Amino acid sequence: MNPSVGRRSLGLHGANRAIWPAVWFALLMLCVWGFPHADGVLRSLEPDANQVVYQRASLASLLLQHLFVVSVAAVVTIVGGVLAAIAVTREGGRDFLPMVAQVASLGQTFPPVAVLALAVPALGFGTLPIIVALVLYGMLPIVRNTLGGLQDVDKDIKSAAIAMGMTPWQVLRQVELPLAAPVILAGIRTSVTINISTAAIGATVGARNLGDPIIAGIVNGNMAYIVQGALTIALLALTVDSLFERFQERLRSRLYTS
Amino acid sequence: MIELAHVTKRFGDVAAVDDISLRIAKGKFCALVGTSGCGKSTTLRMINRLIAHSDGDIILDGQPIDAYDPVKLRRRIGYVIQHTGLFPHWTVARNIGLVPRLLKWSAADVQAKVEELMKLLGLPVDEFAAKYPHQLSGGQAQRVGVARALAADPDILLMDEPFGALDPITREKLQDELSRLQARMHKTVVFVTHDMDEALRLADHLVVMREGRIVQQGSPLALLQQPNDPFVESLLGGLERGLKQAALTRIKDHMSPMGPTLPAQSRIPAAFSLRQGLSMMLRDHTDRLTVVDQHDVPVGELTLRKIVKEAQPEQGKVRES
Repeated sequence: MNPSVGRRSLGLHGANRAIWPAVWFALLMLCVWGFPHADGVLRSLEPDANQVVYQRASLASLLLQHLFVVSVAAVVTIVGGVLAAIAVTREGGRDFLPMVAQVASLGQTFPPVAVLALAVPALGFGTLPIIVALVLYGMLPIVRNTLGGLQDVDKDIKSAAIAMGMTPWQVLRQVELPLAAPVILAGIRTSVTINISTAAIGATVGARNLGDPIIAGIVNGNMAYIVQGALTIALLALTVDSLFERFQERLRSRLYTS
Repeated sequence: MIELAHVTKRFGDVAAVDDISLRIAKGKFCALVGTSGCGKSTTLRMINRLIAHSDGDIILDGQPIDAYDPVKLRRRIGYVIQHTGLFPHWTVARNIGLVPRLLKWSAADVQAKVEELMKLLGLPVDEFAAKYPHQLSGGQAQRVGVARALAADPDILLMDEPFGALDPITREKLQDELSRLQARMHKTVVFVTHDMDEALRLADHLVVMREGRIVQQGSPLALLQQPNDPFVESLLGGLERGLKQAALTRIKDHMSPMGPTLPAQSRIPAAFSLRQGLSMMLRDHTDRLTVVDQHDVPVGELTLRKIVKEAQPEQGKVRES
């Protein structure tokens, strides 16, 4: 459950865990600014290629594009997923609970590549189809965790909240959401982290992001390009994931300071 | 005052509560007793509208409860449940202050009330105010639960097996404190329990339920003296009934004046029960006790003959309810 346990045994514990986002971010920056000057290193991967440094766009601009696509998709997914899960756990919406749970599962069984293939004729090339694919793909963890988190709130606690004279909105806002927050946040973390890597396939339909060097590398048989794209994406995912972990810890300690 | 008139609750075709009528006078302590599934909790939860009743009338202070806004109604009724239902992400102080805050009391008033209640329930403010529920023992958590229910000074207190999950010693202690609180605050209490001894100790009015119906109701002594049904009798403990009745009778009301003979060696406070007196006689192998007041001054004596005579139903004094 707690991924920090392994690190603790390496001697990094307590406050030291706070440095992980910084470490991953520093490595990410090193990649973004270092690859253009790392001709020698990259050359060792592809000695015969004309070019080993990806130059069609700067990694920094691709990184920003990548973040933009993932962020837009995340905002849509979080707002939509959390609201849908809240709605179907209320008195009036309970009938729709099985439907919403199934639609969310269906979204994830659909391969994002297939979503792209279907979305491009309707939405054209570019950024929009990949956002749609990411939203569908990232919906399940958020809906499932929000549903689970809300449903797992102790029945006695909810019943007491109502009996004390809290309005339904107060019960949701002051009791259910805070208690479900760690579980919901874990769902958001999974969704966003998966989507950072999934977003790369957007490059196949003309969305400009960190998938570009990978696709170009595959098309041209250039391993150096692939490494530049893949390593940057991996470090971005690790940075964001470790930020979420910090956030989860802070939430936990705010919920139960002991 | 709470009045239930021909109240029925059906879940589908099953009547969980079947045509019950019950009147609880202001300031009285009413216990609903019965085995699990007899409808006692359902009855309780209909009073604060956690469950809607299907038929009949529930009248609170002269008005049917449907006439009240449910949220406002619940804010003036205290509610205590077995597993406390404390909010685990809130401190003890914040949990207790919940209803006053819902009623928009000022922060200073809320804090003053919280501290007053914590003192009243034996929870030192410095030690407990900032603690979280998971750091409390079962007994402490239930004290917080009771404090939370009392915070907005409700006239009515609903308690659903509040001490059912506690160990016997803690349970007894909290029962004592509850009757001490009740003697002081005179809330109208509806108390659900399956523990007949608990009901006998606390209640002014006892309501025995079975399969959704009221089998018998009356004062504890009246029920002990004349259970009108084998079920009630078995709940009351069969052969133990005599002792239970003695436990409800105080020595003070049945001692004789000091006799001309030497006072007996064994001494017992006048506030104790006949049952405790009997127990002391068995322990000390005597049939005579000296009764003393709170300053250990002899005020009378209690004899085995007297106890046996007093325990006869036709001479026992029925407590008014």
